[in-house]
Amino acid sequence: MPGWAEILVRSFVFLIVLFLITKGLGKKQMSQLNIFQYITGIVIGSIVAIHVTDVATNPVYGILALAVWFLIPVTVEFLALKSKGFRNIFQGKGTVLIQNGKIMEDNMKKERFTTDNLLEELRNNQVFNAADVEFAVLEPTGKVNLLPKKENQPITPKILGTNVSPEKESQTVIMDGNALLEPLANASLNTNWLETELTKMNVSIENVFLGQVDSDGQLTVDLYDDKLAVPEPTEKPLLLASMKKCQADLELFALATESQESKDLYQKNSERMQQAIDKITPYLQ
Amino acid sequence: MTVSSQVKGCFSSIKSAEATLETLAVKTNDQETEQIFKEVQHTLKTVKNDLENQVIYLTKEEPQYKS
Repeated sequence: MPGWAEILVRSFVFLIVLFLITKGLGKKQMSQLNIFQYITGIVIGSIVAIHVTDVATNPVYGILALAVWFLIPVTVEFLALKSKGFRNIFQGKGTVLIQNGKIMEDNMKKERFTTDNLLEELRNNQVFNAADVEFAVLEPTGKVNLLPKKENQPITPKILGTNVSPEKESQTVIMDGNALLEPLANASLNTNWLETELTKMNVSIENVFLGQVDSDGQLTVDLYDDKLAVPEPTEKPLLLASMKKCQADLELFALATESQESKDLYQKNSERMQQAIDKITPYLQ
Repeated sequence: MTVSSQVKGCFSSIKSAEATLETLAVKTNDQETEQIFKEVQHTLKTVKNDLENQVIYLTKEEPQYKS
């Protein structure tokens, strides 16, 4: 076999082997590099490079070496799963850079982390003033994660003390003009329902680029034809408005009537309506 | 509009709201949401019953406007 052909064959074979190894090592290898994955990545890459370009080497040795370097990280990860001490050595521990709002200069020195590095990482986390940080840690992967001080944290409904309705994931039921049966079944709906909803909106399924159903069974669509206006869902706002109107009406009746008995009845029911409205408002917004 | 017909209007609004709540409760996938919808529907039902009695009472009071 001429040299160039051998390189072609080797490239192809090692590409497949490399693909399988990367698959086998899992998603962790792709996302974050801890010490060990960093080493394995470099070595596996080098082994493949040498054996592909140098026709003098024995490809069987190459595959053998790859097998070893595949088994080592898998074993290490398995052991790391079992023991915390092992994990600390092979996958590293996070280093605290800021604690209680104070920068830990000693820890920074240990990691050879300069002030500029720190500021850069804080900016990466959208923090421009070190005084806004309560706690920051340098992860083994080299990324800095931080907890802003309470007053600098984004506002959540919990901080505001308001109730919100729980929301489950939406199901994508129409893609590129085709109904997707499995997501429909997940939302316990069927194609008949979909057709009815689309007829209500006065659109045909071929014109729908993307259609999703939220956990309340409300269908929202995006059309190919962007000039067509899709009606906004009105059921919930209408319900809330009509409940509010009833409540106001009852209050009005209570004021208008002269019979004490009727007044009490209207008042009691107006209060009941108010409670119902307070309870349901988060769910209708 | 007489008082009786106003109360009747309010009564039917509540009836419609109750029905909408019922459909919403059926449509939702979330247990908690379904529970809330059902509770509110129950409240509306009590209000509806009270109003129904009131409508009957008002019709008796104003028999000339009986419809």
